[in-house]
Amino acid sequence: MGYKVALVGNPNSGKTTLFNCLTGSSYYVGNWPGVTVEKKEGKLKNTSEDITLVDLPGIYSLAPYSMDEIVSRNCLLEEKPDLIINIIDASNIERNLYLTTQLMELDCPIIGALNMMDVVDKKGIELDTELLSNSFGFRFLKISAQKETGINELIHYVSESITKKGAFSISQIFPDEITEILNKFEEHIEKNYPDVLPDYPIAFRTIKLIEKDEEILSKIHNNFELLEVIYKSRKEIENYSGHDVDSAIADYRYQYITKNVTQASKVVRENDNRFQEKLDKILMNRFAAIPIFFLFMFVIYYVSITLVGNLTVEGIQWLINDILMVNIAKGLSFLGASNWIIALINDGIITGVGAVITFVPQLLVLFMFISILEDSGYMARVAFMMDRIFRRFGLSGKSFIPMVVGLGCSVPGIMATRTLENERERKLTAVLTPFISCGAKMPVYVLMASVFFATNQTLLVFSLYLMSLLVVFISGLILSKTWFKGEDSGYLLEIPPYRLPKLKNTITQVWERIKEFLIRAGTIIFAASVVLWFLQNYTFGFQMVESIDQSMLASFGKIITPIFAPLGFGNWIASVSLLTGMVAKEMIISTMSVLLAGAEGGFTVALSQVFTPVSAYSFVLFVLLASPCMAAIATMKKELGNWRDFIFAISYQLGIAYSVSFIVYQVGSRIFG
Amino acid sequence: MSILCTLKDLKPGEKACVGTILVEGLMRRKLMDMGVTPGVEIEVNKMAPLGDPIEVKLRGYALSLRKKDAENILMTS
Repeated sequence: MGYKVALVGNPNSGKTTLFNCLTGSSYYVGNWPGVTVEKKEGKLKNTSEDITLVDLPGIYSLAPYSMDEIVSRNCLLEEKPDLIINIIDASNIERNLYLTTQLMELDCPIIGALNMMDVVDKKGIELDTELLSNSFGFRFLKISAQKETGINELIHYVSESITKKGAFSISQIFPDEITEILNKFEEHIEKNYPDVLPDYPIAFRTIKLIEKDEEILSKIHNNFELLEVIYKSRKEIENYSGHDVDSAIADYRYQYITKNVTQASKVVRENDNRFQEKLDKILMNRFAAIPIFFLFMFVIYYVSITLVGNLTVEGIQWLINDILMVNIAKGLSFLGASNWIIALINDGIITGVGAVITFVPQLLVLFMFISILEDSGYMARVAFMMDRIFRRFGLSGKSFIPMVVGLGCSVPGIMATRTLENERERKLTAVLTPFISCGAKMPVYVLMASVFFATNQTLLVFSLYLMSLLVVFISGLILSKTWFKGEDSGYLLEIPPYRLPKLKNTITQVWERIKEFLIRAGTIIFAASVVLWFLQNYTFGFQMVESIDQSMLASFGKIITPIFAPLGFGNWIASVSLLTGMVAKEMIISTMSVLLAGAEGGFTVALSQVFTPVSAYSFVLFVLLASPCMAAIATMKKELGNWRDFIFAISYQLGIAYSVSFIVYQVGSRIFG
Repeated sequence: MSILCTLKDLKPGEKACVGTILVEGLMRRKLMDMGVTPGVEIEVNKMAPLGDPIEVKLRGYALSLRKKDAENILMTS
């Protein structure tokens, strides 16, 4: 039988990096609190034992405030792991050990992995793990997940301690007097209420009952006698400590930690590196901070769209159109293939898939910037900076993190909302995040910009991002007072230190995202391009069409076309591409390329017959704001949890997109003709 | 133990110890979990560019909180 090991630690303590080291997989890592939002499993590598490692969301305590904490806590209580690896950011050891003191109550062996030892060394502090191990009653090991040091020792020690299951002793956290009160309470429960939460670890049950933990209390179903006993013990603790129970218990835990950490650590040299403060003086400057943020965003989009685009797009198009397609046509006709096969391959598959591939270099650079932003520690600072603004619109600064992640892809963005404690704010953020343009929508803007707004490409794309922010704010304001109305949850956010992004990590992240993009191009978009080509070239009687207007696709497109007429793109090519765009947003340009392939004068000319500049702008606005792709819609459904909110969200997103495009087109076409 | 002021009144660079925490509800528990307990020394690092929230340093790390909550944390010398 296999063993189960849980990896537990504070948010942003390097947990996912360690998980990847221990299992050899490559999950997504970032330098902002809350990267892991769902538990992941992997097999521990380099060991002969069968050990499953479970990576849990980062938590600060075992209290059930946010969904992350509930997921982690339930896993620890219900799945009862054989061992806990508690990862501890040693450069922030006091706060990290707070969770440790709670894990010590779970009646499960623990190994403490002291991560980021390199930062501690730089600070000029020496940590004595021997002393720490002795005072806490379990083993501490020094590791660096990023530099991959100490990993093999950790694996070795995990497999060793898991196989020789034996008694383990955990030291006492609270002072004798408090421990006595707790013990008395425990005995009383055991004797008089044997059926109260018998499956829970004893020490955990005692503390949580005395703390009146909401979830635990809901499980004892108004047992008034028991509540009376709880009340008495609470009074005793209050009398002894002179504080209320919550502060007293938290305070004793921290006292215990401070005492033991002080004992085990030694300052060997004064740290005079003020780099962090200096950087903050500039980036968080009262006047410059917000302009600097927008400057960063502008530079990111300028470099990835305009600069990289200018360098690569033409070359790739030349490769696909003039080299690949020409040679395939030659080669196939040499082999005697019929014309329709050549057309299927060239006008269907290569055109459809190629339209997406063209944008890979631009997305690569965009993803690279976003990854650096996430790793550097700047994100939490942006949340800090923006809180004041976001609060006005019914959100908190924390809502900004899912949105920045959403710049890459809405799916992880929507998932990242789980770090928000407040249910109302969390759902609201999940509904608003898709308004932030994801990477896959970018090719649509870039294509339209290059055809219709050639001189102001970056500006046009940037205007779309501003528009999406505007819609987020206005929607936040409206929805927080109507559909998602309720209390504000407050704001409390750890600000991590700046860290230099590690090249390896950046490459892994960019590769993971690009890989997904390429896989979609090779599967869904490949298949859809074939289907589209057939629908576009055959009539309902399966006769090859003479003109595209007779095709099945055209007949179908014409049914939905009237819906979009008031928005300026009432033609079936635009309508059909919006529909296929539901599968994946990059499908929009694939569809247009397939449908307009072989048109007279080439793609650009054909496209400018379908759209005017005003209707093109209205079209990209619709693409930007309308409901996201299937994957994001499914994620949204999962995070909202119920059909009522979900249907509202989809209708709202479609409604906003329709109204904005309608206004822009109706006003714009009157001004510009 | 004499109350000096609230955490909100401290200026960047100033430090004091936590006396009583008057914040209520969920935020109270969260503050405690994050190490804001009676007696701990807190230094104000800076204010956000728009004046709120504030960033403080305690137990060797940086935490940000809103002024609304900071004014309910009483500080002693």
